Amino acid sequence: MTRKKRVEEASVVAEPLAVEEGLTISDLRGVLEEIKGFDGVIGYILRKSTSAAIDLKDPSKIIDFAILSSSALDAGDGVAEVFSLGKVKYVSVDGGNVRVLALIANDNKICVFMEKSADCDRILKKLLLI
Amino acid sequence: MDSEVYSFALKSALDEIRNLCPDVTGAFIFREDGEVVAGDGALSDKFMARVVDAFEEIFDKADVIGGVDGITVDGDSGKVSVSRFNDVYMVIATSKNADVNYVGTVTRVLIPTVMRLLEKICSTPNQNKTETENVVVENKELQLQLKETPVEEEEALAEAKVEEAVAVEHREPLVNQLIVENLGGLLVSSDTVRVDPQVLSQWSKLYEDIEIKEVEIETFDGKSVRCKVKPVKDSKFEGKGIIQMPEKVQLNLEIKKGELVKVKPIVE
Repeated sequence: MTRKKRVEEASVVAEPLAVEEGLTISDLRGVLEEIKGFDGVIGYILRKSTSAAIDLKDPSKIIDFAILSSSALDAGDGVAEVFSLGKVKYVSVDGGNVRVLALIANDNKICVFMEKSADCDRILKKLLLI
Repeated sequence: MDSEVYSFALKSALDEIRNLCPDVTGAFIFREDGEVVAGDGALSDKFMARVVDAFEEIFDKADVIGGVDGITVDGDSGKVSVSRFNDVYMVIATSKNADVNYVGTVTRVLIPTVMRLLEKICSTPNQNKTETENVVVENKELQLQLKETPVEEEEALAEAKVEEAVAVEHREPLVNQLIVENLGGLLVSSDTVRVDPQVLSQWSKLYEDIEIKEVEIETFDGKSVRCKVKPVKDSKFEGKGIIQMPEKVQLNLEIKKGELVKVKPIVE
């Protein structure tokens, strides 16, 4: 009787961890991999509280891009607070040769980097559906 | 003095933007070093400084993407956009349901126009004073000459004025900046665009009721194309400064819906 109970308890504890991993990381990465295939997309950074995934065509710029993406989201929060914009849906930064799209989806910080010619609206629609 | 004139003119432009666009909740202009150049009067200095501080880190880290041309922060209750005009940045805050295309069109036309005028007018104080004195002296000399002019020369002057009027009539056609909208449908010709009827009427009046049949469309990247033109059919687009374009034309010009293009009537 006791042994059976223990087996049931063990299976109940294991399931939530597996389900959470499947819905967040792999689904998110799937969407980001799809976005990375769009014309003009240079790469992305995906950050959770305890892990990060980075996929950039130019690995030498990983640190600079990572810092910029963090700055963009922090700036968005700061401006949203000052102007009372409510919850930030996304922040975009248009640079001289690269555009950055940053947003938070389900506690995941996502940042996509693209050339100016990329279809930003299409990428944004995809990200906002996450 | 020049910076005061500069700030006052830009402040007036910002006030005018708020008058034209009631959905604009705040607007100001600052330099990359953080100095606020002009505000719309509704935002306090402290408020503007907080906003500039919030964006400072992006500016500091943006070398990797080639500097900052623009920033957008889209929230549930509104949006803030930063746009670069030469060496200054304009911040525009809009409410949730603002027509951002309209606001963008107004700001992208008004601010650069004011800045270009200011550059010409407010170059340096000494240079301006000298130029003004020269113009006054020239005018006085011209007046003296006119008083002494015999009848034949007066007739020649009158002819010159007529020639100038003729030259003005044949000057470069008026260019309008219009917003791109999609033009679709089964029977849509791929070489025809549809323009706001008010714009067509304005051109027609300017060129003595000549019917405008073709236009030249130019993007800000320098690409241009010539198309046949007809008035927009859908009344919801009237008065909105719209040009409806088939997808083929948009692809040729490498533009899409919502972008601004320069449109010039072909007058032959």
